[in-house]
Amino acid sequence: MMWMFRSSLGSRSDGELLALYAHGDSAAAKELSRRLLPALMGLGVRMLGDATEAEDVVQETMLRLWRMAPDWQDGQAKVSTWAYRVAMNLCTDRLRKRRHLSGGTLDDAPEPMDDAPGAEARLQDGARHDALQNALAALPERQRQAVVLRHLEGLSNPEIAVIMDIGVEAVESLSARGRRSLKQALEGRRAELGYEHG
Amino acid sequence: MNMADKGDDHHDLEAMFAAARQRPVDVPNDLMARVLADADRIAAMRRPAPLWQQVRDALGGWPAVGGLVAASVAGVWIGVAPPSALPDPAELFFGTQTSSVSDTLSDGFFDMAAILEES
Repeated sequence: MMWMFRSSLGSRSDGELLALYAHGDSAAAKELSRRLLPALMGLGVRMLGDATEAEDVVQETMLRLWRMAPDWQDGQAKVSTWAYRVAMNLCTDRLRKRRHLSGGTLDDAPEPMDDAPGAEARLQDGARHDALQNALAALPERQRQAVVLRHLEGLSNPEIAVIMDIGVEAVESLSARGRRSLKQALEGRRAELGYEHG
Repeated sequence: MNMADKGDDHHDLEAMFAAARQRPVDVPNDLMARVLADADRIAAMRRPAPLWQQVRDALGGWPAVGGLVAASVAGVWIGVAPPSALPDPAELFFGTQTSSVSDTLSDGFFDMAAILEES
């Protein structure tokens, strides 16, 4: 273990950093947080459509990571995969709670981001991003998870299968159906989003 | 004709995905601070307490330690200079007259004084 202390933290794997943290190295916790937080925050925002809720999910995910650090067995799984899985489950819990509170009438979609008057005046890339976010929010939960993890987080299908606890074929199916639904949801906005040129 | 039938729909969606991936994710400073504070708190809970702290806790905290010290001091004091009302424990045990520590000390002092006077 001591050899790890002589090397810079930046070259350590996530699992090694977690082991260092478990042995009392707070700098390792900082480096690991620096690596994981942007991805987890992105996942939370894309799944929930709300930055504040996403922050809560990220903090809870990292808290669970710190707690289980002494029990982590490096080599069995990737720390990032574990964190994605926890964060995804927390997002799902919040979406279900949100749906329950709304009486199931709002599906699990967050507030629309781009339907306010004057939205046309926004920068086009911002409008496209918001349109995509709204279309994602309207997808069924599992399709949204698969699309976000595959196309926005850039994870591989086998990794997504671990996170979602399903087979790789199921991931491919969910992702494909999600993409089809997105296309259908966005086709009416092609001109508005600058994708039709005559 | 819907979007899925258009030849460039795949490109459009991929472009939106790519733009979303490149969009910077804002991680608030206070979120990072809260996460690191949690890490420190969990690490502190896991860290074993110093030996003296473990002994103190095993005895029942500071009041118990204070009582134990007071009782120990009293016991030593009673052993060195037992009250006259109490019988000498050594005499009770061995059945013989023994000199107390104070007597021994007094004899030693007399011997030392005599040596110094002669020199």
